[in-house]
Amino acid sequence: MIVPLAKDPPGTATAEAPGKDPMNGAAQASPLPAFSRPKKPGISGFPIPGLVKRIRKLPGVTVIAAALGFLLLGSVFFLAVGQPPLATFWAMIKGAFGDGYSLSETLVKTAPILLCAIAAALPARLGLISVGGEGQLYIGALFGTGVVLAFHTSPMYALLPAMLLASAAGGAAWALIPAYLKARMNVNETITTLLLNYVASLFVDFLVYGPWKDPNNLGWPATIGFPPAAKLPALFGTRAHIGLIFGLVAAVALYVLTARTRWGTCLRLLRSNRRVAEGIGLNYGRQAILVMCLGGMLAGVAGICETSAIQGRLQSGISNGMGFSGFLVAWMAGGDFLRIIPLSLLLGGLLASGDSLQMFAGLPSSASLVLQGLLFACVLAAGSLKAGRGADRV
Amino acid sequence: MSEFDAALGGFIISALRSSTPLLWVLLGEILTQRVAVVNLGVEGQMLAGALAGFAATLATGNPWLGLVAGVAAGMALSSLHALLCVGLKANAFASGLAVWMLGFGLSAFYGIPFVGQKINGFQALSPGALERIPILGTFVTQITPTVAMAILASPLLGWWLYRTRTGLSFRAVGESLSSAKALGLKTARVQALGILAGGAFSGMGGAALSVDYTRNWVEGMTQGRGLVAVGLVIVARWNPFLAIPAAMLFGGAEALTLRMQTSGVPISSHLLHTLPYLASLAVLVLSYTRANKEGGTPAGLGAVFSQSQ
Repeated sequence: MIVPLAKDPPGTATAEAPGKDPMNGAAQASPLPAFSRPKKPGISGFPIPGLVKRIRKLPGVTVIAAALGFLLLGSVFFLAVGQPPLATFWAMIKGAFGDGYSLSETLVKTAPILLCAIAAALPARLGLISVGGEGQLYIGALFGTGVVLAFHTSPMYALLPAMLLASAAGGAAWALIPAYLKARMNVNETITTLLLNYVASLFVDFLVYGPWKDPNNLGWPATIGFPPAAKLPALFGTRAHIGLIFGLVAAVALYVLTARTRWGTCLRLLRSNRRVAEGIGLNYGRQAILVMCLGGMLAGVAGICETSAIQGRLQSGISNGMGFSGFLVAWMAGGDFLRIIPLSLLLGGLLASGDSLQMFAGLPSSASLVLQGLLFACVLAAGSLKAGRGADRV
Repeated sequence: MSEFDAALGGFIISALRSSTPLLWVLLGEILTQRVAVVNLGVEGQMLAGALAGFAATLATGNPWLGLVAGVAAGMALSSLHALLCVGLKANAFASGLAVWMLGFGLSAFYGIPFVGQKINGFQALSPGALERIPILGTFVTQITPTVAMAILASPLLGWWLYRTRTGLSFRAVGESLSSAKALGLKTARVQALGILAGGAFSGMGGAALSVDYTRNWVEGMTQGRGLVAVGLVIVARWNPFLAIPAAMLFGGAEALTLRMQTSGVPISSHLLHTLPYLASLAVLVLSYTRANKEGGTPAGLGAVFSQSQ
């Protein structure tokens, strides 16, 4: 909070916050009903509002509404660029899950998204909106690569753990900056994480264009290729790698930890009522730093996994928006760690099929970013169907 | 004029020129945040404005039409933010990110044929007699229309916000939604207007960038200027009068970066390019400590920022 809310009695301020306001909460709470115009005067006596309410209460209605909205807007987009919508969607599904190869490409994209989604969902447990997955991923890749370059003759059993630990430390260190600023000075974490993303990617650019550039690699800005001892193991002989396992383990572990332990209760308390929680001795700042840094560790690991297992060297622009896709997944999942897993797979499929769209329809790769934006908008719009609840998910 | 003065004058002009796109966005985001809505989508709106402006200028050869197209594109995209977070009460931060993704994606998608093309842009202002004024003259002849318009827009908006009835309604909505409602203001309409105004200004900022400053189109060319603006609003304390110095912070750091690069300072250009972001972050943190003590935040907006606690 930037300003103490002394001007308004507590309670009114939160009730007024746009985004938290239930559909008709303000009108009911108004002390002067004469001033609040009836909403949609023509329909108010009609049975439709009751029907709408009943539809809203159906289980899974937001999911269905978001999916329908996405299909509709996606079709409009495909039509606008001159592609047959149904055939294109079908090509996307086949491109994502159609055969063994496309499935493995989907899993390749899923791994960093899953890790970055957890990196966004964990701070959300405390009500923090952290969009720093992208930057943490870059710094994780940078630290991990630093270890590989320094000890590239070491045997695998030493190099791999050291590389992973360094990347986790790097991601955590990068997340520590906004976390500390939030804990100490209440600086809005969304803005700081977003700005630090740019700084992180510039740091990586500095190293791969400068001191770490492979001298034999004229023109192309990248480090030397990772030695075999620094290659993360692949899964089932495909390109999918062990980062996926890290993500699955982390998601399940955090689900159990937040649902079943005192720590999870502590986070819930701090989120729902910080003042009371601090009154009983819980430390908001310490928990903010903890969740941000744990998230940063996972995003950092995502960075080194992508570098080591997929690209084989550190180069400019490794992430390509994985951090933001992860944030979208975390939001869609409502911060639920188990729901993050299938949703990451879905978004991984969307990104992987972006490549096949390029072949099938000649659509450039930015099409998948447009589709992600449409999906996000639909999820947000559908979230408001559940009056008052959709507003402050994540 | 001594050599040093000339260098300093040149520096101020290049700082002004590089901060102009940011200044436009900053003014727009000030308007948006004045009605207690945060819009992270300004980054995407800027990109849409930059592409639309560049494309229109290339097609018609008239940079003024480019600016108009940029404004229109920014407003169109910001209407999605208005729909999501005023109409449907979605979270403003998330809605802004969705707008950003869409703006980035759409501009990258439709911008492919424009990569590598060049336009002529505006000619520098040359208002005859003004040129002969001693110090100001060189100044005036070197600034371009978007710079001049932005410098004029800042006090105009300040006057509008603090001295007119409609400006008052913006401020009232930002301070307390329910009081404004009780006064009979149509708060949803005012909030939507604030967002659309922000869209128009950010689209203008994008167009100022592509049509007037760089005169080309590159995917993602705004490089976080919109997000920097969201942070600098706090530095400018939601006051249009303070927007110019706040924007000059980023612009000055950027101009310094370019100057150090050309004068052969042995620091990597990539490291130098972090300077504008780090400078903005530093002043952001400083103004947070001040705002924590002294206030000045629109009260309704304080609730939005603290909502995530």
